Amino acid sequence: MTAIAQQVADFVAASAPFDTLDVESLTDLLTSAELLYVTKENLDTLIGQSRRIYLIQSGQFSVSAGQENPRYVSEGDYFGFQRILDGSDYPMAVTVESPGLVYSFHEAPFKALLRYDSIATFFNGLRHDALQNQAITESKSMWLYKPLYDLTEKTPIGTDVNTPIQQAAQLMTDNRVSSLLITEAGQLVGIVTDRDLRSRVVAAGVDLTNPVSSVMTSSPANVASNLTLFDAMALMTEKNIHHLPILDKDSQEPVGMVTASDIVRHQRGSVLFIIGELSKASSLYELTRLAWQLPHYFSAHAKHAGDYDIAGKVLSQATDIMTRKLIGFFQQDHGKAGMMFSWLVYGSQAREDQTMGSDQDNALLLAESPTKAQADYFAAMADYVCKGLAKCGIKLCSGNIMASNPELRLSLEEAVEQARQWVNAPTKDAIMHFNIFLDARCAAGDVGLFKTLQHQRMPLLKQSLFLAALSRHANEVSVPLSMFQKFTYEKGGKLKDTIDLKVRAVALINNIVRIYALAGGISVPGTLARLSLLPENSELSTKDAANLRDIWIFLNRLRWRHQLQHNVADNSVSVSSLSSIERHQLKASFQAIERAQKAIIMNFSGGMA
Amino acid sequence: MLQWLSDWLSGRGQASFDRFKGATLQDTTLMSIDLELTSLNANESEITSFGWVCGRNSSIALETSAYSIVKTNASLGQSPVIHGLIQDNIAKGEKIEDVLTEFIAQLPSKVLVIHNANLDLAVLDAVFRRLNLPAQEVYYIDTLQLALYELKKKHEVIPPNSASLGACLLRAGLPEVPQHNALEDAMAALLLCYAQLASLGLTQQSCLADLSHTKALGRKTLGVVKP
Repeated sequence: MTAIAQQVADFVAASAPFDTLDVESLTDLLTSAELLYVTKENLDTLIGQSRRIYLIQSGQFSVSAGQENPRYVSEGDYFGFQRILDGSDYPMAVTVESPGLVYSFHEAPFKALLRYDSIATFFNGLRHDALQNQAITESKSMWLYKPLYDLTEKTPIGTDVNTPIQQAAQLMTDNRVSSLLITEAGQLVGIVTDRDLRSRVVAAGVDLTNPVSSVMTSSPANVASNLTLFDAMALMTEKNIHHLPILDKDSQEPVGMVTASDIVRHQRGSVLFIIGELSKASSLYELTRLAWQLPHYFSAHAKHAGDYDIAGKVLSQATDIMTRKLIGFFQQDHGKAGMMFSWLVYGSQAREDQTMGSDQDNALLLAESPTKAQADYFAAMADYVCKGLAKCGIKLCSGNIMASNPELRLSLEEAVEQARQWVNAPTKDAIMHFNIFLDARCAAGDVGLFKTLQHQRMPLLKQSLFLAALSRHANEVSVPLSMFQKFTYEKGGKLKDTIDLKVRAVALINNIVRIYALAGGISVPGTLARLSLLPENSELSTKDAANLRDIWIFLNRLRWRHQLQHNVADNSVSVSSLSSIERHQLKASFQAIERAQKAIIMNFSGGMA
Repeated sequence: MLQWLSDWLSGRGQASFDRFKGATLQDTTLMSIDLELTSLNANESEITSFGWVCGRNSSIALETSAYSIVKTNASLGQSPVIHGLIQDNIAKGEKIEDVLTEFIAQLPSKVLVIHNANLDLAVLDAVFRRLNLPAQEVYYIDTLQLALYELKKKHEVIPPNSASLGACLLRAGLPEVPQHNALEDAMAALLLCYAQLASLGLTQQSCLADLSHTKALGRKTLGVVKP
């Protein structure tokens, strides 16, 4: 006879974290519960006298417990649990904004459920306003985002160029390494590997007292210590090498070595397969054929949250390689450029958070003003590369932010002058226009030239009036939450409950982090990299930075999953397609972004929005 | 219970009705019931399932939720399509006498809430008579009548289907019922009743008599009063 109504079971069993309960625990919780129809008039007789945990099914309320500011709550939100967790009956003020249904669970059965990790973690997290980030710290892919200097603990094994071959080999044996860094006055000049000793020494019958410099590989490929292991692995795959020296980003001294066994150890070879394949392409036709496999490759290989975490990086690296390949193909036919140039990428490709829908944003930076012939050469190259990328599936930019646009083929001098103009007149329209250029990276050509540009404009972009203008701009778009903290949806979409996670969330974090990065003089474009490199004295606390990082990863997982599951290139994620806990996390994320937006106004614009 | 019953039989029914109408809402326990039937014709219809849930003061105690499938041999007609019951389930159900005994045990001191009381009470009356059960006087609030009262204030002609339980829930901003079932509908009707009382401006200190003008209050004797 005694029964639980389906409508009750359906709602509560779908509400995180109770969705993790077995039927028996759920029944215990429900049979002692009450379902309340709460209005302004009956509120005082229904809520607040005893310790209960309340779960809202419909209606809108505001709650303040103890001294805290009122919190607006609605469907799916809990309140009252703090008093149970704290074992204290501090006053809780509730007001009804619109009447609705509220479940009231008793203290004892709720406390009994706290023995489950999933339940205890959820409510403790809710109390501390933290994103439920357990899943993110557990991600098997997070190490890929770690800067190399975090991974290089051992002192690098190396020797001077004049060391005899035999002594160098002895050093390798003693230290059980398969390669040796060769230095001259502290700077890296080459490397020697087991293979070199076999083919260039033993097989060639070279005198073992000769200096090691005679058999080393000179000017080897290398990677800066502030880049990530992922970057290193992508570079090794692209160049088909097994040893990659790591150089300190400032002193350029060697600090370590990444080897192929590092890749094997992390078993991420399959992720990089596509990069290796693209690198082998020898014609435009082959390159486009491989590039068109990318969506298929992602849907086949990216199944878990950890895969989504690096998908943006893989796609950006792939786009970089296509670019380098295309420039190479062009130069095979038209010869080398008459001067140094950098192929710059902006926006998502620069930040390495590309998704399937991202279009190309690029430009050319020239060492000096070109002659007519040089200008024609670069125009032809830009045209070839941009069209080639489009053939590879990287859409042409609708806003014409492409190297094929003559306005985006500036000389170094012009580019610095341009930055000065941005800083001098950061109007709303101007920021809309140049915001994307503030996330830049050199994907091909001469990195040094781009570094010179960055170095010259860094002091300009740090100016406080400029940062104040950017901060105000970063507050123009708000998170999609109503005053009652309900999700607000896009109008006119095919589905009724979609939110563009790129425009309304990810881009907001990118904007916020960019401002802290500019203020801190950080030149890398990636949002996660910027967060990890923020200086100790940054206005953004370590805790807030970690929280923004987790939120950013969470949001990117949601949009990648959306794109791959539905085979689409947009970021309009349907809220009803999310699990209950994801909806809670999403709301907490939006709330945290909103707080971070307010914080940059306080930090950089003197509180004036 | 028999003492309570004999109060009615000795002609003090009207006095009790007045007492019930005079009780404040906070002293009144409501019991929302719903029946699933084999037919809309009260005289030949049989009960296939019976659900109820109790509450007071705008609150539902979930532990009072009850649902019974009733054993019957009658043809199901069209209703299984609506109610999702199939012959097999019904054959395994409880005896109607047992279900009604539990129902009767709940009755003292409770006021029923029913959406469209006429039909359900007519069927109950017919079953009471058929089984020769002792007569029961019941008081009730009909949420359908409350809905019609509200609708008549707004419309000259009441739009078709606008007083169905589903339409009423929608207007009151309450969740729709997932699937029709006696317990689901009983619970929905009780929530609807709370919303309707609130929208009429009644508080816990109001009396049921404050609803008299809506024609939603009623009393009915189930079964034959024996001399």
